[in-house]
Amino acid sequence: MALLDELKALDVNVDEGLERMMGNSSLYERMLVKFVKVMNDLEVSPDFDNNDYAEIIEKTHTIKGASGNLSVTPVYEAYTEIVNLLRSDKPEEAKEILRNILPVQKEILACIEKYV
Amino acid sequence: MSESRATILIVDDVEINRTILAEVFKDDYNILEADNGLDAIEMINGNYGISAVLLDLIMPGINGLEVLKEMNKSGTIENIPVFLITAAESTKALMEGYQLGAVDVISKPFMPNFMKCRINNIIELYEHRNKLEHIVAEQVERLNSLNQSMVETLATVIEFRDCESGEHVKRIGRLTKILMTQVSEMYPEHHLPKKEIDKIVTSSILHDVGKISIPDRILNKPGRLTEEEFEIMKQHTVKGCEILQNIPDIIDEGVYKYSYDICRHHHERWDGRGYPDGLSGDDISIWAQVVSVADVYDALTAERVYKKAFSHEKAVQMIHDGECGTFSPKLLKAFDEVLDEIIVKK
Repeated sequence: MALLDELKALDVNVDEGLERMMGNSSLYERMLVKFVKVMNDLEVSPDFDNNDYAEIIEKTHTIKGASGNLSVTPVYEAYTEIVNLLRSDKPEEAKEILRNILPVQKEILACIEKYV
Repeated sequence: MSESRATILIVDDVEINRTILAEVFKDDYNILEADNGLDAIEMINGNYGISAVLLDLIMPGINGLEVLKEMNKSGTIENIPVFLITAAESTKALMEGYQLGAVDVISKPFMPNFMKCRINNIIELYEHRNKLEHIVAEQVERLNSLNQSMVETLATVIEFRDCESGEHVKRIGRLTKILMTQVSEMYPEHHLPKKEIDKIVTSSILHDVGKISIPDRILNKPGRLTEEEFEIMKQHTVKGCEILQNIPDIIDEGVYKYSYDICRHHHERWDGRGYPDGLSGDDISIWAQVVSVADVYDALTAERVYKKAFSHEKAVQMIHDGECGTFSPKLLKAFDEVLDEIIVKK
């Protein structure tokens, strides 16, 4: 359970996530590893074109859904806001949030990867 | 996996979401997964016995809304409940999803327990409904066939008095079906759906019920009828209608209007010299005209107490030459189109 304890310290809502997995902690850990892969595949960086970001909306939407379901709360909250801002045509503000979440996200992903 | 368990199809392009849903439902259901819309459609249309679909709206390629549209086209949306997997912000797509027949929404992040209750309830409801629909369809089918056999029995009994074996009504039904279908296909103004043609066919076998009221000495007279006898014989049309009016319960409402019309008007003539109302041209309904041709053709090609059977070719010739009544040229054209079919079926 060391991974889950560490994630708790990084504000991941482990209890809620476990509940969603019907209490199955090994499944939860497997899904967290999948999550790292999803994040690496999608890789959203804040240098996207302010006039053409339909693809970014799709990617951030996917991240929002996956992080929400795994209760990776800091990532979920940030991407929820990012998706909302992009949908309301506020790319600059979205980028600001993205820049702030990237280091946090990096730390969480690194923590999970340690245990793979 | 147990055979009796219901099957849920989970459609989401993100594996994490699919896996979580599968985990929630795997104890109670067989689980199928699709990571794109195309596979989902294939599975829904395939023989998997799917009881519910959990459908992600936003997917690359064929998205959830398009899957729903496809289900509307194929009609599967009527029997399979669809739950939309969605994040709260896409209200417009959600609304469209509901309009396309989705029953409920599963919001991300998932709330497993509520989700389970809602989905279980709706699946049970649908299964119950599907079962009831099936039972009702079976009952309707049984009623219809019972009804049909009562009508056939009635027609056959009456025909026995006419020294016929019961084959005449069957042949009339067959001829009417062939000719009516041809007319419906050839002439847009006479186009009728198959269901209506079936009703006309049922009605056609009742065209002579009025003969029950005609005395044996006239009905089965081997020689030519006197003018007075013929007047009595002509009464079988209106008498038939009286009989139909008195037995409304065995005749389906949709069939009644055709039966009544055919009974009364199958001896009208295109030139207006028929009976009992002397209608002419298209004042005579197309179904009465069709049964009239079928009746004449069958009378000519069958042996009767007063005559021998004519050959198919001779009968067709006589009908064209106006020796047994006059008919609409359009109807005769349709008749010519189906001659081969008529001869095979006879």
